[in-house]
Amino acid sequence: MRNVGIIGIGYTPVFVSKRKDVSIVEMISEAVDAGLKNTGLAPEDIDAYVFGNMATFEGVNMPHLWATEHMHARGKPIMRFATGGTIGMAAFHGAYYHVASGMADIAMAVTYEKHSEGDAQVGLMGIITPELMAMLSAGIDVTGQSGMGAIGGGSAGGISFQASSYLHRSGAGIEHIDAIAAMERRNAAKNPYAHLKDPEATAEKIAQTPMVSWPIRFGHICPTTDGATVCILASEEKAAKIADKVAWVLGVANCASDATTANLIDSQITDPAEQLPAIMASKKACERAGIEDPKKEIDYVEIYNGFAHQTLMYLEKVGMCEVGEAHKLLEAGELEMNGRCPVNASGGVVSTNSIGTSALNRVTECALQIMGQAGEHQVEKEVHKAMAHGWGGLMQYCTITILGDKPKKL
Amino acid sequence: MEETKVVTGAWELSTFKFNIEGRGLQLMLKHMKDRKLMGIKCHQCGTVYLPGPFYCRKCHIRIDEPAEVSDHGQVMTFTIGYADVRGNPLDEPRIAPIVKLDGCDSWIMGVMQGCAPEDVHVGMRVKVHWAEETTGSLQDMQYFVPE
Ligand SMILES: [Zn+2]
Repeated sequence: MRNVGIIGIGYTPVFVSKRKDVSIVEMISEAVDAGLKNTGLAPEDIDAYVFGNMATFEGVNMPHLWATEHMHARGKPIMRFATGGTIGMAAFHGAYYHVASGMADIAMAVTYEKHSEGDAQVGLMGIITPELMAMLSAGIDVTGQSGMGAIGGGSAGGISFQASSYLHRSGAGIEHIDAIAAMERRNAAKNPYAHLKDPEATAEKIAQTPMVSWPIRFGHICPTTDGATVCILASEEKAAKIADKVAWVLGVANCASDATTANLIDSQITDPAEQLPAIMASKKACERAGIEDPKKEIDYVEIYNGFAHQTLMYLEKVGMCEVGEAHKLLEAGELEMNGRCPVNASGGVVSTNSIGTSALNRVTECALQIMGQAGEHQVEKEVHKAMAHGWGGLMQYCTITILGDKPKKL
Repeated sequence: MEETKVVTGAWELSTFKFNIEGRGLQLMLKHMKDRKLMGIKCHQCGTVYLPGPFYCRKCHIRIDEPAEVSDHGQVMTFTIGYADVRGNPLDEPRIAPIVKLDGCDSWIMGVMQGCAPEDVHVGMRVKVHWAEETTGSLQDMQYFVPE
């Protein structure tokens, strides 16, 4: 394995609810061209492409092939990943494997979601269709009114079981979910590539938003966003020639477990707030990065938080604090941009969620912090090492990427 | 709707046959008619599942030993729904607990009645309220009530 560094990032000019001015592939090309412009590379410099977006969300089944020419990939190797919420980071890991293995010198991860042209609820149903169809004949009630296995509330319904369990087991209260959501919307106001921004957000304001499925309020939930992100990775040798600033990949890992609440037929055996994959993937990635204690060695974290309680829950799972401690760090102001453990200065997924990009944006935002290029949302402390976390799939799938300002000693 | 088009027609979805061979789900449904909850126990590690898979999720071996599970149990986590799947407000908040039944190691989802939303908590003892007439359907186990 050889060292790999992030040498460039490309975002669409905006991340908003509806990009009516561009098609899906035109939107993708905006991010691709931004990535090339930022690195000074030409299309012929890219050896391989790894593409990612959520299967079925827009009803486009082969977007990577539709977009081939829009990302200048004709005649080049392309792979597509579709791992759920973690897609962006899975695509990043795919690009990393290409370069680390020597199969390519420069690879581009390309991710997008154009939620405004699809129905995410239909897409989400697609992840449990076989079980649901079988359970329908056994009398399951999909309107959620009665009977065993009654389902109601879409993904907010499923996730609220996790939030409720997290609150019970950590000692945190719903007021802490309000407060972290407010912090991230304030952070988002400083990020030009964020969607929901509110410089005046407070826990009290979030607490006034309607309760959807206790303890999850409207203000705790991510938006549906249109946007695309690319990330360009290069070998150490190439990076030295091309880039002034590089964020080095120190360790990557992913881990899966059972489907928890989505497992209707084989029964549920896991607490949706247990999140063993986050614990395991973090341990493995730290081990690969030569990190013994993330609490002491990681300066900055980006957590995948489609729902606001997840920032706090995952800080505990990935080892950035003890169990039951995250909400205390929040109360002490340590999670803020000027705190000791800054998290999601970008505003997180709870502020911007174009799903294909969301787990990649955790990585690119960590890279920007390391390169000192985050602009108005650059955190106060110096960032030498950062951890990016991705979550999704059927509740129990996590990815981790650890970046640093220096390449790994091989 | 200006931004969407509806294409009328039928989309044939499979019924996705599962290899449950009279065990698992079918075993549970059959006994629900008699107001009994029948799961499957792993003969190696002793884990009891409801509905039972045909393999142990921990030992990865085939299992088929029926094991009766109590219709009393404990709330492991819960939510209170205020909106339906389409986001429309519900007339009454809906309590949805995930319950671990006594004698069972897996958890099941359901709804709860006979309790104010503010009184539900993790660790609460509950029992199954059975339908007046049971037919061998998931609907036989109508809802949970406080013990
Ligand atoms: Zn076993």
